[in-house]
Amino acid sequence: MSDPILDLKGVGFDYGSLTVFDGLDFTVARGELVVCVGPSGCGKSTLLSLLGGHLKPSRGELVRRGVSRTIYQSGGLFPWLTVRQNIAGGLPRGTSKEVATKKVDEWLEITRLTDFANHYAHQLSGGMRQRVEIARALAGETDILLMDEPFSALDYQSRQRMRKELSSTLAERPRTVVFVTHDIEEAVQLGDRVVVLGIRPTNVRKILELPTSRPRTPATPGVAEAEHTIMEELGLT
Amino acid sequence: MSRFLWPILTGAILLAIWWIAFAAGAFPIGTIPSPPAVAAAFLDEVKSGRLLADTIASLYRVAWGYVVGVALAVPLGLVIGRSLRTREALMPWVNFFRSLSPIAWIPFGIIWFGIGDPPAIFILFLATFFQIVLATAAASASVPKVYYRVAEDMGIRGWRVLAEITLPAIMPQLVTALRIAIGVAWMVVVAAEMIAVRSGLGFLIIDARNGLRMDLVVCGMIVIGAIGIVLDLLFARLTKIPSVRWGFEQ
Repeated sequence: MSDPILDLKGVGFDYGSLTVFDGLDFTVARGELVVCVGPSGCGKSTLLSLLGGHLKPSRGELVRRGVSRTIYQSGGLFPWLTVRQNIAGGLPRGTSKEVATKKVDEWLEITRLTDFANHYAHQLSGGMRQRVEIARALAGETDILLMDEPFSALDYQSRQRMRKELSSTLAERPRTVVFVTHDIEEAVQLGDRVVVLGIRPTNVRKILELPTSRPRTPATPGVAEAEHTIMEELGLT
Repeated sequence: MSRFLWPILTGAILLAIWWIAFAAGAFPIGTIPSPPAVAAAFLDEVKSGRLLADTIASLYRVAWGYVVGVALAVPLGLVIGRSLRTREALMPWVNFFRSLSPIAWIPFGIIWFGIGDPPAIFILFLATFFQIVLATAAASASVPKVYYRVAEDMGIRGWRVLAEITLPAIMPQLVTALRIAIGVAWMVVVAAEMIAVRSGLGFLIIDARNGLRMDLVVCGMIVIGAIGIVLDLLFARLTKIPSVRWGFEQ
């Protein structure tokens, strides 16, 4: 087994006098999809900022063996660029023009956005925007994808569809993913493992392994049980 | 169609009121000219070529003062807007100078630059510069942080952040500021030309007043207003640029 791509040992983080994290321990293996769930205010976005290197831990050790891209809840697309230009902007630096055109075409096809290549973000639906975000982030061919409640601004059906699409996109282009959400159902549908976070100062309360393969629906065996376990852990039962 | 029809109709009504009031002897002699006198003055000025020369002189000054003002103000505004320290240190002063009427600088303009175009261009530069610095800085300070995070992930660093993220992100607000600023510059040039120079539409008006030619004064006012509308329409077109339009459609 190779070294984990993300390795947190006793990580702590303070915002001024407020301790957000204390003694955070967990690892993420290469190619794994780890979902972090926790109550609102437990510092999920801060966790991604730490993992992405936008913030430095106040204590402990955080090792990241690779480059990351983050996908945000909403509004991360550059509104002055078209869908095509946004995705092209995500490609690795120094990609030649011909290669870029080809790659962007591929991503447009994978995310079924070919017909919208020349649209601007504000002309798209919420689900389409998130698909562009995912394409742009994946186009960077970075090792790690960090997702900050990427589907939370969508309606229930779009959310279900996006989960399925994310699974199939990742099947085509595997990547290590850390996905944070407050949505327990989303966590158990998407995660290989689910890290359950407590309330501030936040640490890991439990790590759950999901046995079956993706894509999962609420009816997939084991999903309901896992949901129940998480709810218990969060004191919601 | 009604975009043109209605303004023409209301203009015709205003003209009719003016004309009838004049014919009825509503204005003391010499205070307001008659429409035919204004039209005659207009034709004379066009034929002599003086109106065109004055218009060009005014536009020339505005173009220089405005372009130099914008070219220096935008980069400075971007830098000020992006850094909290510089913002705190400089914004009150930018605001201070913006609040000073550019006309107040005319004595300095004349002492520093003599007479002719340079002092007028200097006044127009000031009229543009502080407004645009303020607008650019304020807009830059409110660019969503998420764009910078994404840019950082993409490896965009240093001055490229200003050029590739901040500037396009503030374009809609900047276009609005540019549009307001050209209107202000156009108003200021008329005032500046009443003092520092011997050509331009502002000079035409002050010169006509000195000769008690109120018909010519009104003729000058109508041309100034008309050019103001044309400038505004031209700048309004900037909002239709594809990479700017999002700010007006969201």
